[in-house]
Formats: sequence, structure tokens, C-alpha cells
Amino acid sequence: MRRSYPFFFKICKDCTSVKTSPVFRILGGTVATVAMILIFGSCEKVIHLDLKNSTPKIVIQGNIYDQLGPYIVKISNSVNFEASSNYPPVSGANVTISDNTGQNEVLKEPTAGTYITSKLRGVPGRTYTLSVKIGNQNYLSAATMPPAVAIDSIYFSSSLFSGEMITTVRLLDPPFIANYYRLVYFINRVQQKAFYVLDDELFQGATIRYALLSRGNNIKLVKGDQVTVWLESIDHGVFEYFRTAGSDGGESASPANPVSNISNGALGYFNACAVRKITTTVSQ
Amino acid sequence: MERLKIYLFFLILLSAFQSVAQQKFTISGYFKDAKTGENLIGATLTIKELQGKGTGTNAYGFYSITLPTGQYQITGQFVGYAPQILQINLNRPLKQNFALTEQVNTLGEVEVSGQRKNENVSRMTMGMQKLNTSEIKNIPVLFGENDVLKTIQLLPGIKPAGEGSSGFNVRGGSTDQNLILLDEATVFNASHLMGFFSVFNSDAIKDITVYKGNEPAEYGGRLSSVLDIKMNDGNDQKMKIAGGLGLISSRINVEGPIIKGKGSYMITARRTYADLFLKLSSDSDRNQTKLYFYDLNAKASYRLNSNNRVYLSGYFGKDLIALKNTFGINWGNISGTLRWNHLFSDRLFSNTSLIFSNYDYKIFINNGNKLNIISRIQDYGIKQDLQYFIQANSTLKFGFNSIYHKIIPGVITADSNIDLKKLTNKYDWENSVYLSHQYRINDKIKIEYGSRLTLFSTLGPGDIYTYDPNGRITSVTAYRSGQFVKNYLNAEPRVTVDYLISQESSIKLSLSRNIQNLHLLSNSTSGNPTDLWIPSSNIVKPELSDQFSFGYYRNFDNDRYEFSAETYYKNLINQIDYKNGAELMFNENVESQILFGRGRAYGLELFLKKKQGRFNGWISYTLSRSERKFDAINSGNYFPAKQDRTHDLSLVGIYELSKSWTLSATWVYYTGNAVTFPTGKYSIDGKTMFYYSDRNADRMPAYHRLDLGATWINKKNSSFESSWNFSLYNAYGHENAYMITFRDSKSDPTRTESVQTTLFKMIPSVTYNFKF
Repeated sequence: MRRSYPFFFKICKDCTSVKTSPVFRILGGTVATVAMILIFGSCEKVIHLDLKNSTPKIVIQGNIYDQLGPYIVKISNSVNFEASSNYPPVSGANVTISDNTGQNEVLKEPTAGTYITSKLRGVPGRTYTLSVKIGNQNYLSAATMPPAVAIDSIYFSSSLFSGEMITTVRLLDPPFIANYYRLVYFINRVQQKAFYVLDDELFQGATIRYALLSRGNNIKLVKGDQVTVWLESIDHGVFEYFRTAGSDGGESASPANPVSNISNGALGYFNACAVRKITTTVSQ
Repeated sequence: MERLKIYLFFLILLSAFQSVAQQKFTISGYFKDAKTGENLIGATLTIKELQGKGTGTNAYGFYSITLPTGQYQITGQFVGYAPQILQINLNRPLKQNFALTEQVNTLGEVEVSGQRKNENVSRMTMGMQKLNTSEIKNIPVLFGENDVLKTIQLLPGIKPAGEGSSGFNVRGGSTDQNLILLDEATVFNASHLMGFFSVFNSDAIKDITVYKGNEPAEYGGRLSSVLDIKMNDGNDQKMKIAGGLGLISSRINVEGPIIKGKGSYMITARRTYADLFLKLSSDSDRNQTKLYFYDLNAKASYRLNSNNRVYLSGYFGKDLIALKNTFGINWGNISGTLRWNHLFSDRLFSNTSLIFSNYDYKIFINNGNKLNIISRIQDYGIKQDLQYFIQANSTLKFGFNSIYHKIIPGVITADSNIDLKKLTNKYDWENSVYLSHQYRINDKIKIEYGSRLTLFSTLGPGDIYTYDPNGRITSVTAYRSGQFVKNYLNAEPRVTVDYLISQESSIKLSLSRNIQNLHLLSNSTSGNPTDLWIPSSNIVKPELSDQFSFGYYRNFDNDRYEFSAETYYKNLINQIDYKNGAELMFNENVESQILFGRGRAYGLELFLKKKQGRFNGWISYTLSRSERKFDAINSGNYFPAKQDRTHDLSLVGIYELSKSWTLSATWVYYTGNAVTFPTGKYSIDGKTMFYYSDRNADRMPAYHRLDLGATWINKKNSSFESSWNFSLYNAYGHENAYMITFRDSKSDPTRTESVQTTLFKMIPSVTYNFKF
């Protein structure tokens, strides 16, 4: 049993995005809990629950970039809650990626459950179709690669909520079209286990500042840390996946599986994105 | 409907005929407290010579009864007041007011020495509970703040929505299916500080009545219940000041005459200062945080003459949470009611009300970009109620209600006052007429029947969308200002029959239909101040509920014990749930995120109350089920609603140890809510994801809690009264689960674990109350 005193920034950390800008992240959260916990504290303890089991589900995760391949599609099975978090790879699947210009490639499986391309090249504007055949089950998905958007800069500042150092990404949103972004955040080459997506609904054609609030772990940035951020321009289907994946569990009265862009009940996503990267060292 | 009209015609004709046949006269008047002039609601008048005949006062303390010429001994009674007995010679219309004196609280006679003893058995309404504030003041509560919303949750069929929450579920309904009225104005959000306090300051409140879906026809608008709260009118005899100092809040109440005996005022204010404790913290995150609420109740009344009286009442409340000028949210209700009581004759009572109600929230955020968000719902209404006391066994109630709803779902502005986003405002007009007739057929059987007819109209201006099943827009139609978009006309017939088996026992049967045209979108477990109200529209159909209930009522031991057993079955149509991953916030097309389905709820409610003696209290038990059915959820099968709780038990005991000490205890136990826990897990980009199967297939752990309280009256004389109230919430410190979350194990990264969060373990509090 330990006493914990979560705070406003914790809302941002844990409850994840209802909408993706920081404003909405706070709203979507558990303001209620926080308000009282603030005064009286609360107790957290690990308990044992007899959770129900489920039959293994197919989990597919694939990315195509506007960069040189190979591109990877990973296929695995889900496991029960009580099981060890080692997810059995699914071997022997027939995995094909094609695009709307007639490119077509059957992926190879060098290691169990990992399927890779050899000649396919991602090009913005094209629509890619992923086809996975496992036994007599077919799983299909399509994603369109939007044009790349550059990262203007990244900078570090003290969090208004916690006083911790946080990384903020600045980018200039292209005008007139709806853009969706996913940010992938690495600290000292370790990918942070949080999903960051945003759209330009409130910031059409404007400069967007997006603070990468640390979520999912308590890593604190210190001087000398190397920070890398990827800015992926994604399509609406992928955006919806990560938006809904970010809000699992927590305070939702009815937690549900993310809205996947893959058919036939498969979990996971298939993403075709243009990506720009920036790396810098924390100097403050 | 046609048949009803003919019946009513004959009925009125009949009563007219009777009055010709036998000379009859009306006795009418008001009941009030002799010391304060406060109207007494629900006081009774009995006639010794005519057993079984009698009447009660209405919401304004007025009564009227028409009897044959004769000599009568009439008795006026009210809970906790000395009865007043009068001999009258009825040979002309008679105005008879009653000024009752509050009984000195002699030990062992805590309450109910007045009220008609078998009230529970003989009253018309079922599925109804009445409380007065003196009844709740000894019950131990969180932070020592008496709270009507917490107290009603100890009654059968009314369940708390969560730990410390002022949200409640009635007979398996959701929290937005309760109509909460404060002096007739709708309260859209009854929570302060996220529900740990309610907006009702008990110092300002006179009377609380809750109807569990069988409300009389003058009420309407929500499916599950009506909670009708009436504020004090104020003392019209003498200025009085009362107040309380607590650990985290204080309150003060001032009341007095405007003109002695003719008019009165009352002002009650309350503020919490929880954030003052935060200031003591050395942690700068905490000591720069603002966190408080305040509220103000005010009321004035004035008697113009014996036939006219006006009332003006208002409520104003605000909550604020702010952090270092970087983030803040405030929200609150404002309401106002102007009422005019008019007697057209000694048998026809009229009340006309102008009602305003507003709920809004504002958010500011300064995180590099400065943003302001505002959202609001407003009601402008006029209500006309008429009560016609035809004869001693027959009363007709009828009237109309017209409300204009205006909803501003949300506007986001930048600091430069540029609208970044503005959702389309919603305008609706809700018109209702009602008629109900209470008729005592004979000494055994009473019937109340009637109907409400509601026309709900969605008005322009605005773009009206239609959607395909995937939520994609299929058409957009622009409507002009004032143009009717959609009309829903619904009848809400209601009937209750009461059969008196004996003076100690009765059975009652009731059928009622309720319609709801305003719906709250809320997909969080606790409810947030930012939850959005949406009206019925071309997409959202009015929610409908049909309830059938049956009850048995029995009093024992010379009415010292009161027992009731009620069962109900409810059929619910056009219920609302959300698509997976629904985007409810700041979504112009929020209606595309909603699923529509049906529901059913049924249960048994047992209630045993000891009304008198040094020891009094009650046991309340509910066995119930509440289920929903949506095509897109759980393969279209019935599943438990989140508020489904099989067992719910409350024990309340109050013991008067001596004249100065009163002890009390409550114990509650209930089955955990239906929830969705993961049934599997997988990994996406290194993050553990949880897999969910069926909706609400799991249960939170059972909840139980003991609260203890003690009241010490340390001084009491005619000019000054003071007392201390001590309470201990969750006395044995049971770790109740507020929420359960799932995460990677901190000790073994290859495992996942379940984590329970507990909010309150043993919260002591002390409050000092005074009155002079």
C-alpha cells in the first residue's frame, strides 16, 4: 500500500486524450478524482481479480514510410491477462502489400511473426492495401500516405503542471487540408510507450506547438539526454486508431478496443505515413 | 381521451348536483409555523365526525375542504408540531388558518407526533419518499455537511452513483434521468466539488420529496425520478441568524420579516475553504492551487392580501479549480423563480411561476496558446398550476408548462477573442399541459389518474445533419431562425389506485409513462462538469419509460413502525449509449456517436422504519436488476447497465442519549457496479494494450461503509442555541474500490497487474452550529 498524490499533470499522463490537444486531455480526465485526492490523498494497491479469459486474437501492426524499406508487418496473438507478456508470433501467414499504381509484393518472414518487404517503396499520395491470410481467414486494410510535413523545431521547457522538463514540438500546418499527425518520441533511443496524435481542427494552417507530456513511465529529462521525435503524417483511419487506443481503460465507463483500420476483427493497425525526424540533445 | 372528457364532465356535473341537493360550505386557509410564519407543506386536517375524510396542505401551505353544514371538531397537524383542535360551526364559507407551534423536543418523542399516523398507508402516492430537514440533521455525513442528496441515497431504490457522489440512480435509471427541482427551477448539475457536496445547502431547505417514476402529472421531463426541493420562505416574525463553522466549509443564514406577518426574506450563503489547507503545503504545485465552491440561496415572500401572495427565490453557485494561472475551470448553476399564488375562490388555488435556470462552465488554459472554452444550457419557463378542490373526496389539478431551452454546446476562443471553434447552438421549445384527478371512491378505495401531454419542438437556426450507420454525414439541411425542425408529441398517462385493507395496511398499484427530451452525454464513471446536454432531435428520439409498480404498506405497533414493500417493472425505449471510441467532446456531429437501444429494470424494495422513541431509524433493502440492449453491443443481447446492483442495503440508526447528546450511525452495503474488465492483452509499439470482450460482464468489489455521528447541544435557550456535530466517515476504514485500473507490473515487466484506488479511509470532521 502506498500513498500517492497524483496531480493535474497526472491527468494528462494517464487519462490520455479524449481530443488530442492538451486542453481536451485535461477535460477528458478525472478532474473529479484529482480534486479530492489533492486534499486527502488516496490509496493505491495491487489486488487480485479473477479476470475472464478470451480466445487468442490476431494482432497486426504494419508501417510503410516514404523512406527506404524494408517495411515491417508484425503478426502475433493476444494472451490472457494473467499470462506472461510474451506474445506468441503468428507464423506462416500469407502477407501481401499492394498499391493503387500496381506495385505488389509478397512479404518474406525471416523470423517468426515478422514479415518484411524487399523492393516496395512508399510514395506520398498512394494508397496501400495490406492483405493477410492466416489459415482460411483474410484480414484487409488500406491506408493512404499523406504528403510529408516538416518539424519546424523542438524545444525544452519547464512543465506548467509539474515543473518537470518537457519537450515541445513546433510545426507549421499546411493550409486548407485536414492533416493528421502522429508523433513518436524517443529518449536516449528508447521509444516512449505513449501514443501522441493530433489533428489540425483548431489550428488549420497555423503554427502548432505540441507538448510531449511524459506518459506511461516516470522518465525525467535531464541535461545531456538525446531526444528524437518523428512526425508522421497519417490518414484519418490511423488517426482514429491511435486516438481511441490512447483512451483505453481509465475513467471511461465502457472501455473498449481501439477502432482498427483492419477488417475481420483483427487488433492493431496498418499505417502508411510520410515521416520527418529531428534529434537534439537537452542542453539546459 | 374522449372517454376521459365525458367522465370528467359527469363528475363535475355530479358534484354540482350534490351541492344543490345538500347545503355545503368550504373551509380553507393556510398552515404556518407560529414562530417563524413558515408555510407548512403536507400538514393535515382531519375531521373527527367524518373519519377517513380530511385533507392536506399543498406546496404553499394551503388547504381547502368542502363539507355539509354542521358542527365539526377539526384538527390541524404537522410533523413535530403540537396539533391544534378547533370546534367549528360550518354554516357559511370559513377561512381558518392554523398557526402550529413546534413541540419542545422531549426525550423519546423525536418526531411524527403530529402527522396523520398512518400517512404511509393512506397517502395516495406510491414510490414516493418525503424528508424534512430536521429529519436528516442527525445523520452522519462526509465532511460533516448535511446533504439531502446523500440522505436520499439511504432510501430504497435510490443508489449513489459512486463513492461520495451526489449523482444517484433511481430504479436502475441513469443519473441524468432524475429531474432535480429547486423551487421549480431545473438544476442541471447538482454537484459541487465533483459530487462530494451537493448544491443544496440544507440550511436553506424546507422540504424534499422524491418520486421514483410515479410522479403526479404536474411533473414531467425525466424518466426515473423527480426530486422536488423547496426552499425556506424566511421568518416573517423575527430576524434570526444561524450558521455553522466546519473544517472545510462554513455557512450563514439570515432571515427575517420584511413587514412583520406579511413578508419575509431569507439569505443563506456557504463557502468551502479546502484550498486554504493547500496553502500550508510547502509544495508549490499545491499551495498555488485554488479549489473551492460557494453558493447563495435567497428568497423573499410577501402577502399582498388574503388572496394573493408573491415569492421570489434564487440560487447562485460556483465551483472553481485553478492552478497557477495556467489552467482553470469554473462551473455553476443560477436559477430564479418568481411565483404568484392566487385564490380565485376558496376552492380554486392558482400558482403562476416564471422560471429561469442556467448552467454553464468555463475553462481557461494558458499553455503557450491561451484558450477559453465556454458551454451553457439555459431554460426560460412559465408554469401555471391550478388546484380545484371540488369536494372533500375529489380534487382536480391541471395546468400548463412552457419552457424554452437554449443550449450553447461549446465555443473555444483564443485570447485574441477569435472563435477557434463554435458548435451550433440548439434551441428547443417544450410545451406541456396536464390534468389529474384525485378521487376517493369510498372509504377503502382512492384513485388518482391523469395525463400529461408534451410537445417538444426543435427549432432553427442551424444545420441539421443525417448520418449513415457508420456515422458519416449523408445530408445537411440549413434551417432558419424560429423554423420548426422536428416535433414530438407524447402523452404520459399515469394512474395510481390505493386500496385500504385496514387502518394499518393498504395495497397500491400504479402505472405511469414518462418521457425525456433532454439527454446528458456522459461516458465517465463519475460524471464531469463538462458533460453535455443534448435535446431530442431528428436523430435523437425522446426517451420513454413505462413503469408498473405494486406495493404493500403496513404499520405496526400503533403506527410506531412503518413497513413497505414495493415492486416495479420498467420498460425503457430509446436509451442512449455510445459507439466504441465515441468522441463526445466538442464534436459538431456528436449525434453520430450515439447508439440507441432499449432497457428493462425491475426490483423489490423493502423499507422498515421506526418513527418514534429514543431510538429511531430505518432499514432499507433493494433487490434489483437493470439491463440494456443495443444492436452494436454484446451481439444485441441484454447486458447489465453500469448502475445495475443486485443488492443494496442501508441501515440508519439515531439514538437520543440525553437531552444534549444524540448519537447516530449508518451502514451501507451494495453490490459493485457492472464494469468491463480486460479479458486479454497484446502489445502495440511496445505498449501493453488490454483487450475487452463483453460490455459490463464484470463487477466491482462489493462496497460497504459505516459512518458514525454525534450531536452535542451545548446550549439551548430561547435566544441562543449552539451545538457541535462530530462525524466519522468510513469508521472501520474499509478500502472501497473507487476505480480499478490495469498496468504493467512494476516489479515484473513480463506481468500485468490490477490496481485498486481507494478514496476515503476514515474522514473525521467537526462542525459548530449556532442560531440566535
